[in-house]
Amino acid sequence: MQFAPVLHSEWLKIRTVRALPGALLALFAATTAFSAIAGISGTSDPEFDPLFTALSGAAPGQIAAISFGAMAVSAEYHNGAVRLSLAAVPRRGRWFAAKATAIAVPTLAVSLLTAPVALLGARAGLGPAASGLSPAEQVRGVMGCGLYLTLMALFAAGLATVLRSGVATLSVLIPFILVVSFVIGDAAGPVVDFLPDRAGQIVLHETYDGTLGPWSGLAVTALWTAAALLAGAWSLRRRDA
Amino acid sequence: MTSIDVQELTKEYGTRRAVDHLTFRVLPGRVTGFLGPNGAGKSTTMRLVLGLDHPTSGTATLGGSAYATLTEPLRRVGALLDAHAAHGSRSGRDHLRVLAASHRIADSRVDAVLEETGLGPVARHRVRTYSLGMRQRLGIAAALLGDPEVIMLDEPSNGLDPEGIVWIRTLLRRLADEGRTVLVSSHLMNETASFADHLVVLGRGRLLADTPMREFIDARVRPAVRVRTSDPAALRRVLSDHGHEAAQHPDGHWTVPDARVDDIGRLASAAGVPILELAADEGTLEQAYLNLTAAETEFAAQPQEA
Repeated sequence: MQFAPVLHSEWLKIRTVRALPGALLALFAATTAFSAIAGISGTSDPEFDPLFTALSGAAPGQIAAISFGAMAVSAEYHNGAVRLSLAAVPRRGRWFAAKATAIAVPTLAVSLLTAPVALLGARAGLGPAASGLSPAEQVRGVMGCGLYLTLMALFAAGLATVLRSGVATLSVLIPFILVVSFVIGDAAGPVVDFLPDRAGQIVLHETYDGTLGPWSGLAVTALWTAAALLAGAWSLRRRDA
Repeated sequence: MTSIDVQELTKEYGTRRAVDHLTFRVLPGRVTGFLGPNGAGKSTTMRLVLGLDHPTSGTATLGGSAYATLTEPLRRVGALLDAHAAHGSRSGRDHLRVLAASHRIADSRVDAVLEETGLGPVARHRVRTYSLGMRQRLGIAAALLGDPEVIMLDEPSNGLDPEGIVWIRTLLRRLADEGRTVLVSSHLMNETASFADHLVVLGRGRLLADTPMREFIDARVRPAVRVRTSDPAALRRVLSDHGHEAAQHPDGHWTVPDARVDDIGRLASAAGVPILELAADEGTLEQAYLNLTAAETEFAAQPQEA
């Protein structure tokens, strides 16, 4: 059985359930809107980082990315839909790879479109406060933002495959991102820097001072994502459908 | 053509044994009814055949190959497991297009099976708006999509209207006549009797019977004659003179057990008893099934099996 038709089938699945393209639209809307608002709001913070301010919409945007990844998988665990899918594609590893690709490619495309729009929108508000940003920093921020959001969508997809539920996945990930990272994050030590969202967001900053840099931080997030996907693939192969 | 071969198949969920050393074959060219009460292991067996659940021991193969090793399995085997598996937000047509895409099956085939199952007019409506009967039809459409040699349907007539029941009966007959292997599970006896040629009967995960339907009934239900007369006293006299014990029913007809129509007809005629109705009372599948399960319960109640 070839990969291309399986991928086509998975892509059709995403396209034909309205909520899924809707989640990607929400990713665009939330990221650009929050970045634009951050651009207009004050720049009086002493730790003001123009690049992170301009891309701060990625924080709410990642909720949409996570929802997209989780929902694309959890639709399979409703009323035994996965049995139909695996009866059509009994090679489970191949099926899961197609599913992950069908999640990753549109998320990356939408994110790579979203990030420059968010950056330009925020810069319009920031004005001279952001004039110190070099083109290289901005390209790095935009590319990093696209990769980060894609990795988070895949992280959620892997977790949803293990938990076999979108609700369970979101109730783990969203409090984790909102509470653990925001509340505990600033207080706790360097370990927190290695959490998937904290590590991956370093790439969105102009300046950074920690053990991780922008790309090594993204690599840490990629490791988390790879672990979630491998756990998902393992549980899919081992368990009864 | 392809047969379904189940060999010593066993599946345990924790300590519960859902399927217990099951061995049977489903052959092409006939409709095999898969009978048993709810929880007997019918659906589990079908999931094992489709490679969805992993067996504890034993094998299930299709024409000698395990399902998971088939390339383009939908072109070999079509299955309906759960009519609710279709996503409510998708249209019926899109639901089938998703399955078709994985096998490079053309959209024209999707439209053809939608027409064949009577879903043409609602093909572009969301599945959420479908009745249970329409969902069953969509599930059957999905099973037919790849024009497979083997068709397995789990309780396909659930929720179908009377017209739908007649339709599925005709469909199953046609599929078998085309030489396909057709396995249809049900817990409804009268309905199974209307389409099955052969029976595989399960009880608590074990094989109770694997026989042609007619033999299954004849072996378990004694033949009887049904007779109605305008002179009950004369009929009773004639029958008892010849050693028959007839039982009268409240609606006025009599049943003569262990008798043949030919004998009773001749006796009544010779004695000049007026006969209003005379018919062979053939056993029903329901009677045969209940006799079988009653015997099985007695057997299971004995403490010889710990």
